[in-house]
Amino acid sequence: MKRLLPALLLLAPLVATATDTLHLYIWNNYISAQTATRFEAACGCRLKQDYYSDNEEMLAKLEAGATGYDLLVPTGNAVETLIRKGALQPVDRSRLPHFANVDPAFRDPWFDPGNRYSVPYATSVTLLGYNATKLTELGLPTDTWALIFEPAHLVPLKGRVTVLNSPRELMAAALRYLGHSAQDTDPAHWRAARDLILRAKPYWATFSNSTYIKDLALGNIWVAHGYSNDMVRARADARAAGRPFAIGFTIPKEGAVLAVDSFVIDRAAPRPDLAHRFIDFMLQGDNAADVSNLIGAGNPNRAARPAIRPEVADEPAIFPPAETLTRLEMLRDLDPRQRRLLARMWTEIKVK
Amino acid sequence: MRGSSSTAERGARLTRWLVTAPPALFLVVFFLVPALIMAAASFREPGEFGGLAPLASTGLTLEAYRFVFDDVIYLEVLVRSFAVAALTTVICLLLAYPLALLIVRSPKRQRDRLVLLVILPFASNFLIRIYAWMMILGPLELLYTPFAVIAGMVYVHLPFMILPLYTNLEKHDPVLLEAAQDLGAGAWTRFRRVTWPLSLPGVLSGAALVFIPVLGMFAVPELLGGTGDLLIGNLIKEQFLDNRDWPLGAALSLLLTAAVLAVAWLSALLTRGRSAS
Repeated sequence: MKRLLPALLLLAPLVATATDTLHLYIWNNYISAQTATRFEAACGCRLKQDYYSDNEEMLAKLEAGATGYDLLVPTGNAVETLIRKGALQPVDRSRLPHFANVDPAFRDPWFDPGNRYSVPYATSVTLLGYNATKLTELGLPTDTWALIFEPAHLVPLKGRVTVLNSPRELMAAALRYLGHSAQDTDPAHWRAARDLILRAKPYWATFSNSTYIKDLALGNIWVAHGYSNDMVRARADARAAGRPFAIGFTIPKEGAVLAVDSFVIDRAAPRPDLAHRFIDFMLQGDNAADVSNLIGAGNPNRAARPAIRPEVADEPAIFPPAETLTRLEMLRDLDPRQRRLLARMWTEIKVK
Repeated sequence: MRGSSSTAERGARLTRWLVTAPPALFLVVFFLVPALIMAAASFREPGEFGGLAPLASTGLTLEAYRFVFDDVIYLEVLVRSFAVAALTTVICLLLAYPLALLIVRSPKRQRDRLVLLVILPFASNFLIRIYAWMMILGPLELLYTPFAVIAGMVYVHLPFMILPLYTNLEKHDPVLLEAAQDLGAGAWTRFRRVTWPLSLPGVLSGAALVFIPVLGMFAVPELLGGTGDLLIGNLIKEQFLDNRDWPLGAALSLLLTAAVLAVAWLSALLTRGRSAS
């Protein structure tokens, strides 16, 4: 008994906190360990994270009946889908005193008018990353989609270009280059975009959603169509390895796709109280800055700016100036019929 | 007396049931039921958020099949996948046969060690081994080519060809080869007339173990392949995970399942023909 008592006393706080747990379903590597520890200390609760690597994966898991999550961090189009499904509960603004920190440019988004359900957390842009040293040597432009679509530019780049293995993202780039909106669903415009892609495809090495980070940093690939935060990582990896070249990335002047990831609260959240506390904690400038410092994400939080490393904060491809922002578009979900048509075009693109 | 014999009979029947029921149950639960669900899904409309549209509002439809057969592109991908699977199987056979023979003909103690070496790659994760291939092929300028896809496919499936060949060749009676030699058969004739015909069941089961998984494999072409290396496995994966079009994915899956069953049936027919003759 003498020995048992201290053991029980040690266990007591564990039992108490086990019930005070916030369950987060979030992108891999999206909250730093230090931020998580600070939150746990501040609220006296535990933070448990499950990860997904794709919005579709998250939606599919929820559709298949995954429960027990308090907070999710989907991209805009997935937020809209979840709202229409009735899978979310409204956020209680009175419990979010730091909401004022959100940049007005990111308030009232198309996917959630008035931010009734969502609080923006981080942003990224789909753009072109490149081996700056090599492109200067070849005298090629870096600020246009022509770099991956025009055979004239592609000849010296043959086998050194990767594009995203995503029909929506690649079509968006082609549509913007052709002067259309990334949201365009006119089949004639889609066909023109497909033909543009087919003309350029022989010069590309492969379709890649993640390996381009490594390939850019190793120097295997000279131009990659991909996400801004991945380019930050490729640049850091190349620097850390002391490579004799520099990685750069630029938003093409024709415009590109912007992704805004937001906190939303599951309708069946076991602990909406903790979820609100977490969102408000993450809205405070220093905590909000971590996602930019850690993974090079853009930040919709005004109070975070002073705490962001200059290397990230001064990067116009991560924090686009107002004039560039007007040329960025968020993707919206297609209806099932459009999805099927796009899928067949995508197969044609892959096979021909 | 009658009573005891019927008890023994009942015991035998019970044993037979106990032995066959678990695998039968396994097949029903993990093959038949999913296949039926898949078949049913292929006749539905895709839901707005993925999944399937409510049956009450859209009913059953042949739309997914019409869409598949509307364009030769999907059959083209299927034919191409069969070609990749056939090529992989032939290369695996050419590499595995001499190796299996070598293992069988080495001394007993070495034999176990060699078999262990064949199985050893399974000790590390499949994706890690494919990433290792990316590092090998990258500097050789062979990454993201059809060659890389075939190399990866052969590498992953080679043990599945070696092991059935080894188990088969190990059972051959060496006396048969000696008899052939005594009758004047040279090394080539001994192989062609004795070893090869006896090993055919091993060749066929190895071929099935390689051919069928290659048909459905999507990770290898996705990681090692270039811009044109799309196989039916990738296409099905895309419909479910990226495109949220379950009916189209289900229709393509059934097409693949039908093709695989046809190959398995053909292989079984060939084996039976051999053993009968």
